[in-house]
Amino acid sequence: MAKLTNLNAFDIISLSSGFDLSGLFVENDEKKEVQFTSTHTFSSITSKLGDIAQNLKLKVKKQGGLMKMEGTSGGRKGALAIDAEIFEFTPSFHLVELRKSSGDTLEFQKTLKQDVRPALKDIVWAWQGQPHQQS
Amino acid sequence: MLQCLDGLKHLFASVLHCCDIDLYKQPRGLGDPELLARETVFSVSEIEALYELFKKISSAVIDDGLINKEEFQLALFKTNKKESLFADRVFDLFDTKHNGILGFEEFARALSVFHPNAPIDDKIEFSFQLYDLKQQGYIERQEVKQMVVATLAESGMNLSDDVIESIIDKTFEEADTKHDGRIDKEEWRSLVLRHPSLLKNMTLQYLKDITTTFPSFVFHSQVDDT
Repeated sequence: MAKLTNLNAFDIISLSSGFDLSGLFVENDEKKEVQFTSTHTFSSITSKLGDIAQNLKLKVKKQGGLMKMEGTSGGRKGALAIDAEIFEFTPSFHLVELRKSSGDTLEFQKTLKQDVRPALKDIVWAWQGQPHQQS
Repeated sequence: MLQCLDGLKHLFASVLHCCDIDLYKQPRGLGDPELLARETVFSVSEIEALYELFKKISSAVIDDGLINKEEFQLALFKTNKKESLFADRVFDLFDTKHNGILGFEEFARALSVFHPNAPIDDKIEFSFQLYDLKQQGYIERQEVKQMVVATLAESGMNLSDDVIESIIDKTFEEADTKHDGRIDKEEWRSLVLRHPSLLKNMTLQYLKDITTTFPSFVFHSQVDDT
């Protein structure tokens, strides 16, 4: 399976929350996408995301470094669908972006908080804009 | 000799006087929304909505109709306890009058560059200046390293120096086509046109919805609907 590579130093720099002006407009819990860094391998990350999708009863489609996870039941604005995109800086340093591809943003944030974040605890180094939490 | 000193003193006084006048004349308030709309990508309604946001941010610490560095940090990070090399750079670029505070005009003109409809050349120019820490017209390798290390430190990430150097090597190999150890505007432009994701932070989709996020302008619109 082809990975998305080719991230460079400027991609790292653009992770900085100081360069992300969306904070001027929305609170963190209103955002439609979140990012985290991981020191795990690509397969370890995709495996974990696959488990989460299964628990949430989301159908998974993989295209290279992109995992599309789609729900079937309709919510307020249609079924929730989440895209997980994995980028490689080095084989043991990845960036994962989770974004809502359809459905209700509030539902997306709720799912993230209740189901996704706790399940990802083992592989997340740090969520964007936050320092690494020593556990 | 004494005349010289006197002359100098007068010169100095008038320069100081000039600075004082500038500081007092920082315009406050909405200013001319139609002018701003003409000179930015915003519509008049969007300018008025943006002003609502500006008022919110600028009254957070000192209610003086101006955004100072602390209020800017508060708006960005929801805390004024966070210092950031990058937020400082952004603030400095917004602050075109270089007086340490942002009036509404500076705020609106800078945010215009982040609008989805803003010309890509403006975004390329702004991002280049952002990364050119020492403002010498080049993005140097040392500046890139400083920014990479600062970003990684923010998330508590400790990559070894070797790994950081190799990531920067790879970046310069691709970006520095003139092989002079630094990235000039032309090289930056080529790089971002090949990697559009590098300009991701230069577009704020939220600006498209600003009239719905800040609707109170409807009640005190200063523009005639003729």
